[in-house]
Amino acid sequence: MKKLSLPWIIIPTTVALLLPLFLRDQYFLHISVLILIYTGVTVAWNIMSFGGVLSLGHAAFFGIGAYTVSILYVDYGVNPWLGILAAIIFAAVGSLVLAIPLLRLRGPFFTLATLAYVEVLRLLAIWAVPVTNGSVGITTPPTQGLAYISFESRQPYYYIALAFTLAAIAISIWIYRSKLGYHLRAVATDEDAVRALGVRTNRVKLGSLLISAGMTGAFGAFAALYFFVIEPDTQFSATLYSIQPALNGIIGGMGTIAGPIVGAIIMTPLGEWLRVTFSGASQGVNFMIYGAVLIIIVRLMPGGLVEGFRAIARKTRRGGKGRGGKRSADAKTTKEGE
Amino acid sequence: MGNSLLSVENVTKRFGGIQAVGGVSLELGHQEIIGIIGPNGAGKTSFFNLLSGMFIPDTGKVTFDGKDITGTDPATRARMGVGRTFQVVRPFKGMSVAENVMVPLLVNDPGVSKAHRKAMELLGDLGIAQLADTPTEALTLAQRKRVEVARALATEPKLLLLDEVLAGLNSREVIDVLPFVTTVRDRGVSILMIEHIVSAVMEVSDRMMVLDHGKVLAVGDPQTVIKDPKVIEAYLGSDEEE
Amino acid sequence: MDYLLQTMVAGLMLGGVYALVAVGLNLIFGVVKIINFAHGELVMAGMYLTWWLWSAWNMNPYVSLVIVTPVMFLAGIAIQKFILSPMQNSSPTMKIFVTLGLSVFLQNLALWMFGGQFRAVNFPWAEQNLSLLGINVTYGRLTAFIVALALVLALFYLMKRTLVGKVLNALVEDRETAGLIGIPVKKYYLAAMGIGISLAGIAGTLIIPFQAAYPLVGAHFTLLAFVVVVLGGLGNMAGSLLGGLILGIVETLAGTYVDPALQQVAVFVVFIIVLIVRPQGIFGGSARNAEVGLK
Repeated sequence: MKKLSLPWIIIPTTVALLLPLFLRDQYFLHISVLILIYTGVTVAWNIMSFGGVLSLGHAAFFGIGAYTVSILYVDYGVNPWLGILAAIIFAAVGSLVLAIPLLRLRGPFFTLATLAYVEVLRLLAIWAVPVTNGSVGITTPPTQGLAYISFESRQPYYYIALAFTLAAIAISIWIYRSKLGYHLRAVATDEDAVRALGVRTNRVKLGSLLISAGMTGAFGAFAALYFFVIEPDTQFSATLYSIQPALNGIIGGMGTIAGPIVGAIIMTPLGEWLRVTFSGASQGVNFMIYGAVLIIIVRLMPGGLVEGFRAIARKTRRGGKGRGGKRSADAKTTKEGE
Repeated sequence: MGNSLLSVENVTKRFGGIQAVGGVSLELGHQEIIGIIGPNGAGKTSFFNLLSGMFIPDTGKVTFDGKDITGTDPATRARMGVGRTFQVVRPFKGMSVAENVMVPLLVNDPGVSKAHRKAMELLGDLGIAQLADTPTEALTLAQRKRVEVARALATEPKLLLLDEVLAGLNSREVIDVLPFVTTVRDRGVSILMIEHIVSAVMEVSDRMMVLDHGKVLAVGDPQTVIKDPKVIEAYLGSDEEE
Repeated sequence: MDYLLQTMVAGLMLGGVYALVAVGLNLIFGVVKIINFAHGELVMAGMYLTWWLWSAWNMNPYVSLVIVTPVMFLAGIAIQKFILSPMQNSSPTMKIFVTLGLSVFLQNLALWMFGGQFRAVNFPWAEQNLSLLGINVTYGRLTAFIVALALVLALFYLMKRTLVGKVLNALVEDRETAGLIGIPVKKYYLAAMGIGISLAGIAGTLIIPFQAAYPLVGAHFTLLAFVVVVLGGLGNMAGSLLGGLILGIVETLAGTYVDPALQQVAVFVVFIIVLIVRPQGIFGGSARNAEVGLK
């Protein structure tokens, strides 16, 4: 039961709050909004990782959120704020399709099922033209104002995104330290053992799926309003909204609180830069680099950056007494004993 | 029968063509310790899995605390008071010893700080309070076994199924862990324990049961059981045994 | 009625190719214990390689098998040696990431090299119809079916009758024991990957005369092969064959009678239904299923 260290919360929050006052460049603000969206999705994705579950289905929840808010707004005139609320509910309900694989399949098989679900929804979104407008997509109305989450400047978007992201982080911290978090983290090691301790693990896993999907839906909805235009190949893109958050999470440190945040902050600008650098004739190269990074990163630092920082911190604190080395040796024996 | 905590009637379990458990019956009294021994592959762990709900028996009946629990799931049984440990102990990674023990404590009461307090109390009672903040990755095997028992005890079981808690320990560690078992019984818990080290089981058991090929070979007073010719034959006939 | 039968036969032909893809995935899963997320992309690689040989060198697509097969075999060995082998003791999550990374890499390599458009091999012979008992089948589909089926049966024979196959079988059953009795496990991993990947590549060659290649086509095959393996049972090669044939028919029926755009959706629906009704697979799962991922 570690206490939350306040400086680690207050300082970054203050920096984030003051940032737009110092940097008024619109492109910079745009990147910052993207970082916030990705941080939010990665933090949401990470809630399933608490339980050791690897989902590549978050583009599905992201897309459901985007389509919910846009369809409700454009076709039914529902206010976008209410639309975001609906997006959370629809994304959670939409995630229930994955409940069956989640409870029946383990490991890689569930992960593949989630990836397949994204593809299925993408095809459905292209096919169901009367509802989704097919490949053309949906454009939200230009009416501006806080009530419609639509602005000339990027600054208000930034603050709304920041509020959403901070809320997501707060929820994630709260879950991590609550009953659900304890049970999820235990399930990550050994589901049978957790069940034998009286925990209804199916409910725990389902809970994490619903919460994670609902949160992702909110960010999908916000992003739809931010981009104005949505279409199946982008909103239901496994590369953009399933693999990218997973990559952020793995680089930062899967299943930790800080990992996804660190990962998203580092990877989003990098991804943008790669995309701009390799456009036109060299399209695809940016994602080839992503693929290569994925292969390399899991080999070099499977624990992610946060774990790496911790190891360094431990070493410096102990003055290199070799204690860290001993612990990792112990961990190794544990692994072999299993 | 009315007095026993656990009553197993003729349970069987088959996997494909293999009869893992072939008609085992057993009565376990309150605060009784029964040691279960038998050659490798005798169906001991499968029998435990039938009791803890990991497997549902093909035939037969399991009654616990007066209720039929034959078809219920592991979590329900744990909540009713059937606790168990696993042959391969796997403490929850990335969590301290206290946090491991908090997992079952949080089942009935979501208060995290209260669960932490209770966990500390339990670890104190079991004499391993000094381990509370240790990450489980840093524990020795003997320590991990104790944490496994502590975790099972935190479910406040009436019946505890111990699956080879002594396996893999050296003789000094066995002497350390063994009194733990009687401490647990003195807290009001009945115990079924699977062990390979016959002398150790005999020391703490009120009765012993010998399984072979999924069937009960003998059950009764430890001294009588190990002198039973059928038991001796089963052990001598089996090459895998030490 | 005739039309229905016609559709089902066309689906059956396609199903043979799916079975070929799936047995490869199943073999790799059984032996190397890795779910290859890039399996479909390797089918795609076979398609593009065949297309390139045809468009640049005017090579008959079926003749190109003599190049595609060894190239893909070597690709499989390289993947095992340089990418998977160093990950052997990593957690399942990390193994997923590694093959996922490979899949993303290959998808975008294709996008970079060949662009996003459809690349088809126009081989007129493959388009011609053969009429058998009043049912029309194109030569392309028929050839794909016959070759795929022959290769699947050859793999069965290999697994049952030859020493290499028996060892591979032993690895599927119990890796630890096999390692203990002195089998050079790593060599057989290479063999399994080589065989599995070359089957994927061959499937690509067989299918391109009637299905165009594009960078995202692999995702479709990965999903199919995975559903087939779940349907037929893990490690169950005969199950994969039957599962592949069934899915080929289901997909083609859905494409004809529902909507061509929803073929993959139909496959996913079948998958969810299988999970609800018989999670251990239709053709009998073994106790192994529980160990390796399916409950």
